Amino acid sequence: MIEPTWIAALGAFLFVIGLAGTFTRKNAIIVLMCIELMLNGVNLNFVAGAMIHGDVNGWVFTAIAIAIAAAEVAVGLAIFLALYSKHESISLDEVMLLSQ
Amino acid sequence: MGEHKSETHLLAPVAAMFAVPFIMMAMHVDISDAAYLIVAAPLLIFPIIAILGQKFNGADWWVNHTKEGGIIALSTMAIVLGTTIWLIYEYLGHHGVLGEATDTGFEWLNFELLAHGSLGWQILEFSAGGADIGIGMYIDAVTLTLLFVASFLCFLICWFAIGYMTTDSINDNRNHRFFAEFVLFSCGMFGMVLADSFLWLFIFWEIMGLCSYLLIGFYYDKPSAAAAAKKAFLTTRVGDVFLMVGLLIMYGIYGSLEFAVVFDDPSTGLNGAAVDAELLQCALALLFIGCVGKSAQFPLHVWLPDAMEGPTPVSALIHAATMVNAGLYLVARMFQIFMDAELAGALTDLAVAIAWIGGITACMAAFIAFVQNDIKKVLAYSTMSQLAYIFTGLGAAMWFANNGYEKYAYLAFGASLFHLFNHAMAKGMLFMASGSVIHEMHHAHDHLHEGDDHDHHDDGFDPQDMRVMGGLASKLPITSTAMMLGSMSIIGIPLIGGFWSKEGIVGQTWNVVLHDGTALLFPALLVLATAGMTGFYMSRMWFMTFAGKPKHEAAAHVHEVTPWIKTPLVTLSVVTAFSGAILACGEFYYWAAGKPGAHFMTHLIEHPLDAIVHELEHAFLPKDGFLLGVGWTAIIISAIGGPFLAARIHGGKLAEGETAGPLTAWLVNLSGSVGRTDIGDLHEGGFATALQRRLYIDDLYEWLIAKTLIPFAYCAAWFDKNGVDGVIKGIESGSQAGSGMVRSLTTGRASDYILMAAIGLLVLFALLWGVV
Repeated sequence: MIEPTWIAALGAFLFVIGLAGTFTRKNAIIVLMCIELMLNGVNLNFVAGAMIHGDVNGWVFTAIAIAIAAAEVAVGLAIFLALYSKHESISLDEVMLLSQ
Repeated sequence: MGEHKSETHLLAPVAAMFAVPFIMMAMHVDISDAAYLIVAAPLLIFPIIAILGQKFNGADWWVNHTKEGGIIALSTMAIVLGTTIWLIYEYLGHHGVLGEATDTGFEWLNFELLAHGSLGWQILEFSAGGADIGIGMYIDAVTLTLLFVASFLCFLICWFAIGYMTTDSINDNRNHRFFAEFVLFSCGMFGMVLADSFLWLFIFWEIMGLCSYLLIGFYYDKPSAAAAAKKAFLTTRVGDVFLMVGLLIMYGIYGSLEFAVVFDDPSTGLNGAAVDAELLQCALALLFIGCVGKSAQFPLHVWLPDAMEGPTPVSALIHAATMVNAGLYLVARMFQIFMDAELAGALTDLAVAIAWIGGITACMAAFIAFVQNDIKKVLAYSTMSQLAYIFTGLGAAMWFANNGYEKYAYLAFGASLFHLFNHAMAKGMLFMASGSVIHEMHHAHDHLHEGDDHDHHDDGFDPQDMRVMGGLASKLPITSTAMMLGSMSIIGIPLIGGFWSKEGIVGQTWNVVLHDGTALLFPALLVLATAGMTGFYMSRMWFMTFAGKPKHEAAAHVHEVTPWIKTPLVTLSVVTAFSGAILACGEFYYWAAGKPGAHFMTHLIEHPLDAIVHELEHAFLPKDGFLLGVGWTAIIISAIGGPFLAARIHGGKLAEGETAGPLTAWLVNLSGSVGRTDIGDLHEGGFATALQRRLYIDDLYEWLIAKTLIPFAYCAAWFDKNGVDGVIKGIESGSQAGSGMVRSLTTGRASDYILMAAIGLLVLFALLWGVV
């Protein structure tokens, strides 16, 4: 059996990789993938916590998070499609609507 | 110039407006309400002329039917003049009842002070009851004298200005500015005279200062005019600062600036406390410095001669007849304080100072007038000199008042006000006459050079220079007669205009000396000497201009053709010639001085012969042997000595075939038959040069300013640029840099925002960690 601490560490590692990816990558799809990575890092933390405390709530939260993540990906990809049809690009550098 | 058609139909609105006050009178409108018209009408009309003039600039109806606003201005003056006459009529009917009541229309300013007392912050209200400032009028004989002088002359000079200003092509399309400022000025003058408190007086005083500045600088594109306007404004500002400080001290003493409160009991201050006479004298002296600036007395006289850069009607109105009287008026207002028995003897120093300033200025200005060749500058210095006479007379009146000689005080005070009246009438006319001369010389010169190709304005011809005139008596009969009468009035030729009042001033100043006022000996000597000098420089001006042979071809081709100019000259000639004698016999001076029991004109109407004989006796044969001597000395040196010398130097018969008007022919012939003296050498002398340089006073000021004020101004400018502006600019550039940094954070890139959110979250965690 793997120590829950290792699982939590892996989760934190995945979260940081995802976070760094969101800062640095320009491609919207990769940023979305990084966000998914962060979500999964959090999921691992939930699992580790559930193992430590012997509490089923952690697993339940993980299941819900995965479901929501799937929905979120669907919405995100739809937004990217719309973005692409408008700007012919999904590079985040070229879509800086927030500063205008 | 001969194409002028009749313009009498333009006078219809003026006549209608003149009738308005009398219709109101017939409808039993209360005079104390109607009197507000005197100030309100010009105040309302001034923006109307300015705005209409700007909008319809150059439009046919505006130029031809309103004379670019001139008719509107004249109509306003007509209302004011009518109302003034009505007011005087009512006042004479009630014999001073109006003078008692000052009528406060409404309060516009309420002085409440926050003070920190035992109950915390609270509002203090002055208990003297005079702390509120309302709009009201203070009407007594002094007010009415000044008001009549101002409104009568404003009316006539406005009339003159319509002719003078609108026939000169240089003024085309900007006369509305002239008339608007003219009307605003008159509003200032009327308001100052009618004001019922020193504060209102000061406000209107400043309005006049502003208009004086604007009108001197009417030809603002000429550098000399712009500089003269600045000089006049800044010089009078020096006096005004002192005036304001004086008013503040007075407010401190009496808790109010209203005449009613101050004059009610000048020796009792706020809350019934006894007034510190030295402090009061200090306040009055500061007020007097303001008057010195406004009335162009030594040492703040330097602005008046330069003010002649303005159009001639402005010189006539502001710088001779009315505004310069403002200072005299304020000093005259102090008379009641000097009359207070409890302050007796305490204010003598100030009275002496006033007389000294007057005496010095009178003599100095007369000396400088000797060498002036510009006809308007001679008149400017003459104005200074005559105003100085009035100051000397007021000084003598104050001395008498403060030393308990009530009878002589009224006499000297009345004589001063009388001289103010005579001088204003004569000087207004003299300036208009000089304007007529200048205008016709200018036109004659233009006419001569009509066909020339080159620009004839560059040939050095100066239409104001008396050295190019001469022999104009035959060309300008009305102008020369007016100028002769005006000069006679100023000189003090017996029986004409200023003679009556000048005799009174000279006599009363000497009378002070006879009553142990030896401090006044010097001014008394100076005014006596100045009487003779006046005779010389006024005659010199007349002979140089009107007698002898033309000294320039333009002077030989002058004609008196400009419309609108003759009427005021004729009116004022009549007034100058007769008003002095009539008013003197009507005991105007006692009435104007407010002597109790004085009845204006009643004695003259009831016993005409008695009154005339009494007055002649009074003027020519005073009982005191010493005063008799002084009086006759003044008459002989001013009426015979001065003019005789002037005639020998500058007089001469007209050219062959020219005949002067019937009233002036005798004088021209007389001047030609007294022989000649050549004074060519004198012109080279050191004293003549000093006089040409105005006794170096202007140079001294310039030097002083260059040595003290200008370096200081540079320091101040440096501090302003680096100190004051430095802080503000630092704040500005600092916040700009700061906002630039903040702005660079909002890149618009989503990933940056996420980074910031992450950092924020981390900081938040760190903080929570620290707290928990």
